[in-house]
Amino acid sequence: MSNAVEARALSKTYRHSGGTTDALSGVDLTIPTGRVYGMIGRNGAGKTTFVRIGATQLALTSGSMSVLGYDVMTETSKVRARIAAVPQESRPLYFLNVFELIYLYLTIRGTEARDARKRTEAVLAELGLADSRKRLVSHLSGGMRRRAMVAMVLASDADVLFLDEPTTGLDPIARREVWTAIRRAIRDGRTVLLTTHYLDEAEALSSRLALLDGGRVLLEGTPTEIRERVRQPFRLVVSGVLGRAELEPFGSVSTVEGGYLVFAKEAPARELAQLALSKGARVSLGPVTLEDIFLQVVGKAIDADDVPAEAAE
Amino acid sequence: MTERHRLRSVLWLAYMNGIVPMRTQPLYLLSILASPLSFLFFVTVASGGTLFLYGIAGGMLLTVLSVGTSLQTDMSHYRTDLKFQDVIVASPVEAPVYVVGIALSELIYSLPGIAVFIALGAWEAPVALVGAVTIFAVLLMVWALATALGFTLATFFADVRETFVFSSLVSLGLTVLPPVYYPISAIPASVRWLAYLSPTTYAAMLMQGAFGLQHLTFSSQVIDWAVLILSSLALLSIAALKARWRDP
Repeated sequence: MSNAVEARALSKTYRHSGGTTDALSGVDLTIPTGRVYGMIGRNGAGKTTFVRIGATQLALTSGSMSVLGYDVMTETSKVRARIAAVPQESRPLYFLNVFELIYLYLTIRGTEARDARKRTEAVLAELGLADSRKRLVSHLSGGMRRRAMVAMVLASDADVLFLDEPTTGLDPIARREVWTAIRRAIRDGRTVLLTTHYLDEAEALSSRLALLDGGRVLLEGTPTEIRERVRQPFRLVVSGVLGRAELEPFGSVSTVEGGYLVFAKEAPARELAQLALSKGARVSLGPVTLEDIFLQVVGKAIDADDVPAEAAE
Repeated sequence: MTERHRLRSVLWLAYMNGIVPMRTQPLYLLSILASPLSFLFFVTVASGGTLFLYGIAGGMLLTVLSVGTSLQTDMSHYRTDLKFQDVIVASPVEAPVYVVGIALSELIYSLPGIAVFIALGAWEAPVALVGAVTIFAVLLMVWALATALGFTLATFFADVRETFVFSSLVSLGLTVLPPVYYPISAIPASVRWLAYLSPTTYAAMLMQGAFGLQHLTFSSQVIDWAVLILSSLALLSIAALKARWRDP
């Protein structure tokens, strides 16, 4: 089996009192096994809907999706035997301590008690939770609770892990610890489908990425492939001396704190850099970041939230 | 999942949601007893002590019925607020295993309350073996009924606050209108038919018969059992068919 998840013409329409909302429209995606696959997009882009269909929590409207070759709608029990998920905004049961949360999740899934204990101890150590093992989760910070949830599924024997914004609310150090654990999961040959708002996280962890907006896949590929497909693959930040009118012939210009951000093709980018230096302006030149790509493709920053409430996932 | 795995999952779920909270917050146990003991106190005082045994039988029933209310609240909370149900859906654990596990946990949680009423009943009027078996069987049937009702209702709520409204209505329909704490003869004949609409009326009459408070003919016992079993099966079928495990 070479693919962990395959979606073909996948669509999902939510019905509500105000009418219908298309959360996914004809999505085709292939997610290979043994990798982290990143899914990025703003609120309402369709990420969570995609993950929930794959995790067998939500029915699709049309098209198909399979996980490890099994259809999510007709071979559900076979899918469920091989997956684990951390849903968006999920929280641990407040009356358990950290050890119990992970250990009981594993035993309820069917893991033998001795193996569950071993796995729990290992993941507690790996995610820096060993010192908090006896603490009630209700006494933990929001970040630590989230880490405990991630620890829970990482400790499982599932082959495909659906992590829906797993690091939201974590501090940078905690995020790195979760990243380390996700990388370990990949070393074990598992597949992780990761949705995130953090573009640096998507880029740092994912071997392939899909950029979703309005229920459609706008870009898909490795981070390098995605960069190559962008119309203006270089970014320059120019401060001082040069005005907007002088910059516009070189590419797309937007205002940033202390200067201008210019997206440009390679030749104009070099030309503009030389011009700026010759006139004594401060300039930095480099390849576009994932955030820049998002801005170019979608036309809005990833944290811009103008999605109507009924379309929110 | 094999049968062994299913059973283990049920027991681990029951341990997680029944034993662990009892250990973490023992004061919760008092809340289980609060309503049944309040009713017992009120009925006993108002009747000058003559309805004390009715209060014991009613207390047992109400404690087991509260399993359904607790299950409904827990299920809604776990599904909508904590997303715990989604975590379980995306795992080998099947819906019936989850429901039975949580239902068993609620029963475990109510056991200390039932024990109090058993102790009070044994002290006031010990029942014979047949009576004890009848009481156990009725409580088991009511547990199944309350569980099915609680799970079905819980799967349809978008917010846990909605469950509080339904819990009150369900309590009214299952424990206040039916003669759980008093003889059915106390209800005016013109509205008695209303009480017969609730399956708990039949459970209450069987309980009262087991305590020797009512003389039940063989035919009325058969009818009571038939209604109780059929309504439990009907609610379990509805739960199996209509409850949502995967969102539509």
